[in-house]
Amino acid sequence: MRNLISFIIKYSFLFVFLFLEIIAFSLLVSNNSYQRSAYISASNKLTSNIQNTISETTDYIGLKDVNEKLATENAFLRSQLLESNLWKADSLLQYIDTQKTQFYTYIHSQIISNSFQSRDNYLILDKGSSDGVEVEMGVISSDGIVGIVNSVSENFCSVISILHSKSAIDAKITSNEYTGTCFWPGSDYRLGELKNIPSHTKLTKGDTVVTSGNSSIFPPEIPIGFINDFKLKPGRSFYNIEIQYNTDYNKISHVYIIHNLLKGELKKIKEVRNAK
Amino acid sequence: MLNRNFFINILRFIAVVLAQVFIFNKLNFGGIANPMIYPLFIILLPFETNNNLNLIVAFMLGLSVDLFTGSMGLHTSAAVFTAFIRPLAYRVISSNRVYESGIKPGINDLGIRWFISYTFFLVFAHHFFFFFIESFSFNEFWHTLLKIIISTLLSSLFIIILDFIFKPNKK
Repeated sequence: MRNLISFIIKYSFLFVFLFLEIIAFSLLVSNNSYQRSAYISASNKLTSNIQNTISETTDYIGLKDVNEKLATENAFLRSQLLESNLWKADSLLQYIDTQKTQFYTYIHSQIISNSFQSRDNYLILDKGSSDGVEVEMGVISSDGIVGIVNSVSENFCSVISILHSKSAIDAKITSNEYTGTCFWPGSDYRLGELKNIPSHTKLTKGDTVVTSGNSSIFPPEIPIGFINDFKLKPGRSFYNIEIQYNTDYNKISHVYIIHNLLKGELKKIKEVRNAK
Repeated sequence: MLNRNFFINILRFIAVVLAQVFIFNKLNFGGIANPMIYPLFIILLPFETNNNLNLIVAFMLGLSVDLFTGSMGLHTSAAVFTAFIRPLAYRVISSNRVYESGIKPGINDLGIRWFISYTFFLVFAHHFFFFFIESFSFNEFWHTLLKIIISTLLSSLFIIILDFIFKPNKK
């Protein structure tokens, strides 16, 4: 027994090291899953508040750019208002509200923490369940797609960035309407990858890639990026397409969370289909 | 050991975590490098401190950075590893003066050449551990290695500059 104790004391450095590494790795493994709700609600209450203060300051510094962006967006939206159309007497009926059903609504939100250098990136936004945010809502900025909400606390929500090893976004090439899936290979935060585009399609560099609207998370025609480069390896039936993201994920600060009003209905009809 | 040294280290702990989280985490160089300066704290711990205490302090340091970045356990394991490798570092990069009492690791006491090689050794060990744990596989080996090398150069540079600016003891 005495020998054992003296052994442990002699090599205590190694034992303390192993002990602490085991704790660190168990933390790593238990938090590595998709659901990070524990992390956001418990440990991040304090750090979110600190980060909120810091981001308020940095937002103030970037106010000029943001204002400009909002102004151009406002101008664009204003141009879509009914009042800015030239009305012809006989086409009046098409603009009656009852002919339209609102499909998506948007919740404006601010980013309080953002990462883009890790292999798996997350964002924290300052809107939570009390503002109507739910899990699996899409998040876009005025430049394009940003990510998908993966956990929600009362005042904050965490978003899986599209810069994540598990992100897969249904995408479409605007010039030829072919759909594929958009991934992030993890090397550069400006470059993504588009897969499942068959080899017989014609592509040109600079073609824009947008969301396809096949999922109920994002509305169609939200910009993702444009084709930077494409290759076809001999014997493969699908292209390797490199896309450059439209959004600079280093610089985003204001985003919109998308609420799909008919999501419940869509889900129901998919369940009916799956039940058969 | 509630002396001046103790408070300096606590202040340095806070400063290093805040600087890492709010300044250096936002820096990026083409997305490939990610400078990490918080090993500076482990590098500058006094030589006389108990090695086990070093490990525990490094654990707390890594955990604090993890809480802010949301990468639970990642920085913690790398920081503990750095503290573990530290005695080896100053045995390999030996200087006769290391075992004199009252000597602190730093440019002042041991000279720039010693400090650069010592910093570089520890930062490389930290980054090597960190990036391989982060990718959790050897699939992207060359890419990870490139990331390690570029980040090590950048982090070492920042750490040496920071040590120059905030010399621990002005005589």
